Amino acid sequence: MSGGRMPGSARAARPKWRLPRVAAAGGAACLLLLGPAALDAQVDAARIEAVATLLDELVSTYGVSGDESRVRAVVERHLPEWAAPEVDETGNLWVRVGAGAPLVVFVAHLDEVGFQVTDVLADGTLVTRTRGGFFPWLWEATPALVHTEGGPVPGVFMPRDDDVDPPSRRPSGPLRVDVGTRTREATEALGVRTGDFVTNPKKLVRLAGTRATGRSFDDRAGTAAQVLALQALDRDRLQHEVAFVWSVSEETGLTGARAAARALGAETVRVHAVDTFVSSAAPVDLANFAAAPIGEGPVLRGVDNSSVTPRDAIDTLMALAARHDIPLQLGATNGSTDGTPFRDYGAVHVPVGWPLRYSHSPIELIDLVDVVRLADLVRFMAEEW
Amino acid sequence: MRHPRQRTIHSVLLACCATAALTAQSVEELSERLAGLTAVSGYESEVTDALLEILPEAERDRAGNVVLVLGTGAPKRMIACPIDEWGYIVGAITDEGYLRLRRVGNGAPVLFDQSHEGHRVSVQGREGQIPGVVSIPSTHLMRGRTLPDRPFHVDDAFVDLGASSRDEVRDLGVDLLDAVAIEKLPHRYGESLLAAPFAGERGACAALAYALQQRPAVSGTVVAAFVVESRLADRGLAAVALLQGPFTATRLLGYPEASEDFSAELFGPTDRRELSAMYADLAIETIDLDEVRALAGETVAWMEGR
Repeated sequence: MSGGRMPGSARAARPKWRLPRVAAAGGAACLLLLGPAALDAQVDAARIEAVATLLDELVSTYGVSGDESRVRAVVERHLPEWAAPEVDETGNLWVRVGAGAPLVVFVAHLDEVGFQVTDVLADGTLVTRTRGGFFPWLWEATPALVHTEGGPVPGVFMPRDDDVDPPSRRPSGPLRVDVGTRTREATEALGVRTGDFVTNPKKLVRLAGTRATGRSFDDRAGTAAQVLALQALDRDRLQHEVAFVWSVSEETGLTGARAAARALGAETVRVHAVDTFVSSAAPVDLANFAAAPIGEGPVLRGVDNSSVTPRDAIDTLMALAARHDIPLQLGATNGSTDGTPFRDYGAVHVPVGWPLRYSHSPIELIDLVDVVRLADLVRFMAEEW
Repeated sequence: MRHPRQRTIHSVLLACCATAALTAQSVEELSERLAGLTAVSGYESEVTDALLEILPEAERDRAGNVVLVLGTGAPKRMIACPIDEWGYIVGAITDEGYLRLRRVGNGAPVLFDQSHEGHRVSVQGREGQIPGVVSIPSTHLMRGRTLPDRPFHVDDAFVDLGASSRDEVRDLGVDLLDAVAIEKLPHRYGESLLAAPFAGERGACAALAYALQQRPAVSGTVVAAFVVESRLADRGLAAVALLQGPFTATRLLGYPEASEDFSAELFGPTDRRELSAMYADLAIETIDLDEVRALAGETVAWMEGR
């Protein structure tokens, strides 16, 4: 080729992070590979599939803190026929079973982190605030769903409009959402209102072996474990009354659990939060604590930011798990759970969970076998302790 | 054993039926379909395979481009769109079964890497696309610590497939040099908007594919090319020019503004048509499907010499 050059430098001429609305010239794969090592005599493929199916339904349902009714409805649909669920004034779902003192409470939460619309601007875009703690830049420039009274309205989380050099990891200011309109009136015509909740689309995706990724495993996995435990529960084996609570607004201050504790705390001898064990057994976390590997069983969360479990309770639960050949890990992690408000009434708090990588991100990652075993553990705890 | 002629007839029937079915796809559906596929530069087979289904008369040339020649004689013109995207390959596999990455393609925006952190990716393994995620520190475990203010960089990336060892990764059909790209989930919003990575270029290619499906009565010869490796110094486009040229004129769809003119000797006078793109170069690059439809119509007119 002579007499000119082939086009080779066009790409380098592109802006490094093109800003919105640049007008140019002219105009899941799903894989399941169940390796023999992943399965054992206790956890067969059918049970893993059952957990995956329930969890998929729960994860595909949206419920930012304060907007949990859809998730609550899924839980109610999966409760055994004998259960007599109640919904309290806060929105918590309760199932009480058995009779007599002492009362033992299990609590998992229905809500997830997300965003809420705080303003609809004149240009039709939405200003949001975060609900719960997470890295908001992970949502920057991703698809969005605004959950309106009339159903979800699709949009996108807009990229930052600052163009600092060198660029920062974090955009300045709250994330905004574009629903494809150009005026406030057009946005409102879609049914979008201040106070609506916003998420990105989510689903459960199977990874290698028995692992899966998705958003809101915290605490849909705990929610599922309680449902499965209740489905398998032998009520004749109960030695006292047990309350299963699915709470609201855990991520924004344990609001639902505080209400449950006000109602039940004085008579509760022991509480078990069934919630995420945030694991540091991941490539980008410091493994100086919380290093419970995924796939090696549920975890007794002995210490966190607001709870220390007494050693004798730890020993009792470890022995119970051993009797049932459930590999129970022991660890400390960060965060608080719905058991905390019950501590204020003197209840012993023995939280249990499953190890999870990449907490409060769009890619939380778990091993489904851990959830199966957690459901078994919750069931045996209710029946025998 | 089936007679070879029977097989040919069967293939022709299949091709006819497939063409008929695929022709029914609207330009909007074609845009969404192409935007949902992955084609890291040098690893474009998912998109080229789809294009060969959409346009059964087209062929894959020696460079990997999908080319369809319409008409005969002079003038001989070319129309082309790029199909490839920035991405990564597997650079290393750790003992624990995590993938480390190396970039593929020139000129990615500074914050391109960061758009992968904490998101799903797919690895183009020997047995198809394998899902994975790019690790992110757990929010809870960062309390009292802070992440660096500099943007996430490809060298920070660990891809987690859910595997626990290098052997388990290889059992999934994933190995060194396999392509890795952000998962494609085309997202419709507004009245006619489509958001997806590289939506502008895929929309332009959808316009070209749709225009070709209309069987335009071309003036002279038109070489239509869906071009690979545009992000590797435009190797695919060079191959089309060298193998099929010289051309009396060239129209490029979906190519960004170039700072250099092409070789007039090979390409002839060159012009460009690009879709307007909001949030360009991001995972939500947004195009208006009405504009894609208009571009398809304009492309038919250009091919017919109108």
